[in-house]
Amino acid sequence: MNAIALDGVTKRFGRFPAVEDLSFELESGTCLGLFGPNGAGKTTLLRMLATLSVPSEGRIYVDGTELTPDRTDVRRRLGVVLHDTMLYDELTARENLQLHARLHGVDADRCEELLSLVDLSSHASSRPDAFSHGMRKRLSLARALLHDPDILVLDEPYSGLDRRSKADLQALLDGFEDRTVVASTHDFGEGFAQCDRAIVLDAGEVALDAPIAAFEDADAFERRYREVIGVA
Amino acid sequence: MSAGTYLRVAGEIARKDLVLELRSKRVLSTAVVFALLVVVTFAFSFAKSFTDLAAVGHGALWISFVFAGTLSVTQSGELESRDGAVDGLMLVPVDRSAIYVGKVASNTTFVTGVELLTLAFVSVFLGYAPPLAVLPTLVGVVVLASLGFSAVGVVLSMLTAKSQVRELLLPALLIPLTVPVLLAGVELTRALTGGGVLDQWLRLLVAYDGILLLAGLMTFEYVLEE
Repeated sequence: MNAIALDGVTKRFGRFPAVEDLSFELESGTCLGLFGPNGAGKTTLLRMLATLSVPSEGRIYVDGTELTPDRTDVRRRLGVVLHDTMLYDELTARENLQLHARLHGVDADRCEELLSLVDLSSHASSRPDAFSHGMRKRLSLARALLHDPDILVLDEPYSGLDRRSKADLQALLDGFEDRTVVASTHDFGEGFAQCDRAIVLDAGEVALDAPIAAFEDADAFERRYREVIGVA
Repeated sequence: MSAGTYLRVAGEIARKDLVLELRSKRVLSTAVVFALLVVVTFAFSFAKSFTDLAAVGHGALWISFVFAGTLSVTQSGELESRDGAVDGLMLVPVDRSAIYVGKVASNTTFVTGVELLTLAFVSVFLGYAPPLAVLPTLVGVVVLASLGFSAVGVVLSMLTAKSQVRELLLPALLIPLTVPVLLAGVELTRALTGGGVLDQWLRLLVAYDGILLLAGLMTFEYVLEE
């Protein structure tokens, strides 16, 4: 069954098309990697999937239901981590999670469970402005997982993370095999290891759509990526 | 989505805004110091030469109202634009007008609080206190005026949140739209303490509040969307 389907999705800012006529389907439980140079339209696409932005043309479906901003039931199924962590620096890590738990109608005990999952239990009483980038990202992931969503939308989850933080995050995401994941990344190694399918966007259009198993290794995928976007 | 869920989310957002402000005191300290300065300046400038202390007191009250209200709604938008916090609220599975209702509630509470403090300053430094009998009605007028000011201010603050010239843009748009609220507030205060017709101005204030709230509820979601 298709968890997500796009039908002719276009998003324009003024006259500038950020993504143009995107159509693809994604099966439930699949991890889709979105690749592409800066400005290719990855974040725009992810924001539309997260219901934070509305397509100028075309339709997005989640389990056959059209995704419109008033579909609050669909939002309940989405866990979203964007480049901005959506945290309040005046609240502690625990208070940030408790706020979102109350907003989502989730039991407060779930916050402790998630703080432990993202290895931030010992920092629960600290404010995020004292956190490293990796810690903020992990806390943002915990916020996204509070309501146990079955679709994860992740915008460059590995950006700005050191080796250890990347490994920690990868181990976390490895545990989400039953969920549908759409993640943008510039990291071919992590993307190759994590994803089942890759879509390369270039200037808002699909330049490549292939199962990751079609490539021998991350280097082979990167070579193909360079070919399709036309860089040496 | 039930009405209970909607109100719970709106309440949580209002509570969150007030907790953040009480912790950071970004707007509170500035608004209180400004109110104090206005009252003290009025006391030095007018208290000895003016016989109508009530008029001076009301002037101080409504000047600090405009300042506290503008600061409050400006901060309201800025708070949510930091680190994409508003996206986190937009992802909550509830009608997005609940965000608007919550933010209007927090701004109304904040501005009313600052005004009550200003009233205390007025009675201490200008030696003028409104008669106790009219105090509850005066507080009611301040609440209604704060509600109207916040109803349009929250929409404009989110609309201008990403602008480079927000500090200029927001007051330039806000003040003309809130003139009926200010006019009704000032006239009602005058009528309450000096005697006069309340009905017409009260009707105007309530009706204008209703129109601004309705317009805010209808447009807020589109303001948030890209």
